[in-house]
Amino acid sequence: MPELPIWQFDVLLLVLVVLFAVVALSIRNLMGAAIVFGAYSFMMCLIWAGMGAVDVAFTEAAVGAGVSTVFIVSTIYNTSATMRSRPGGMAFKLFIGVVVTLAGLFLLSALPDFPKWGAPDSPVNATVAPYYILNTIPDSHVPNVVTSVLADYRGFDTLLETTVVFIACIAIYSIMRVDKAKLETDEPAIVAAPRYDPGDSLIVRQASRFMVPFMQLFALYVIAHGHYSPGGGFQGGVILGASLILLAISFDLKFLLRQWSEKSLMLLVATGVFLYAAVGLACMFMGGGGNYLDYGFLDSILPGGRDMARSHGILLVEIGVGITVMFSMIAIHINLASNGRFDRGL
Amino acid sequence: MENLIANFNYVIVVILMMIGLWSMLAQKNLIKKCIGMAIFQTGIILFFISIGAKDNALIPILTETANHVYPVPDVAKVANPLTQILMLTAIVVGVATLGVGLALAQKIYQQHSSFDEDEILENQRK
Repeated sequence: MPELPIWQFDVLLLVLVVLFAVVALSIRNLMGAAIVFGAYSFMMCLIWAGMGAVDVAFTEAAVGAGVSTVFIVSTIYNTSATMRSRPGGMAFKLFIGVVVTLAGLFLLSALPDFPKWGAPDSPVNATVAPYYILNTIPDSHVPNVVTSVLADYRGFDTLLETTVVFIACIAIYSIMRVDKAKLETDEPAIVAAPRYDPGDSLIVRQASRFMVPFMQLFALYVIAHGHYSPGGGFQGGVILGASLILLAISFDLKFLLRQWSEKSLMLLVATGVFLYAAVGLACMFMGGGGNYLDYGFLDSILPGGRDMARSHGILLVEIGVGITVMFSMIAIHINLASNGRFDRGL
Repeated sequence: MENLIANFNYVIVVILMMIGLWSMLAQKNLIKKCIGMAIFQTGIILFFISIGAKDNALIPILTETANHVYPVPDVAKVANPLTQILMLTAIVVGVATLGVGLALAQKIYQQHSSFDEDEILENQRK
């Protein structure tokens, strides 16, 4: 038995997760599937919080349960929520089922060779991870080990992950964006008319108008306080993006686009990655010159010694990550919700 | 059996990956395929978090005893931060790639007025 005080709770959550996954995939209505998938993500986030991965749980709550559900819903809004049922095909599904079960049994057969669950001396836990835990305070004064590993020890990794988000944003632009003038002359709009007048609910509009400032304040706190508590650029950026997506949904897309034009959105997405890369470059030229992303060399321009410079460097790159993630979430949402036309949508 | 209960997380990981993989291969609906992909991904994330967990461990945020004084932490009592940050970035990249998948699905729907794989193939043969 795992020596957890509440392992029954964990087992219950794990069973619920499988149940939600099956329901999300077997439900006939796609809108229902999207909502059940959101519930699945929330259950998953509870499991991760139970295993001590608070930062991951925070990210999943903001991203998996929040923004990705919105993405799926806005896709369905522009297309259709019904699944066509056609007879036959059971033999194929069964065949795939057998293949997948065989693959699963193959994986399960490796299970006895695993180190005991929760063993502190297993290969994963015993090699490089203790170095991070022991050295984060002497190196950079960041008590949240996840933040210091994310932005300092493994800064290259995070820089390229941020770039992946940026590239995904560009990919969605090139797939979805249509030229409005060309659309009007060449092909008729296939987009279904909106099913309701967006922004017609006074309660929703007033409630979100009241909520958005607090969401944004909280998101800024999450970015700035990521050194000491769960959070950082990814989570804060997603919450900032979600607050503006909420405005876009409760009012309409025009309301959002009046404040953030398409051009400024794209520029800001690039600015975040640029800020991250520029901090890395600055480390090479400041204070005698070190390696790329070695924030200790920024101590000539940042207050404090070398360790505090690392702490401040982490904050700078977290801000860059936050900007990129925030505006790419908004840009992806606008593309998906308006079918690439940037006029109206969910 | 004892082993199975102690490694219950890993069993769930395999089951989730099986569900996701089955959905990606056998379901005909493109949105269902995207959801299956996301479930497959969360299965892998659960695997990474499970191997990084430690018995009776605290979260990987060190606590200070006095103002700005941090005692040397007991490594066995702090959850593994490395697997967590790998998965943290994976989640955010996952939502971006899910967006790309959904964008492709929307474009396909515009062309064929359907998410159904068989209908799209029939349309293309015409």
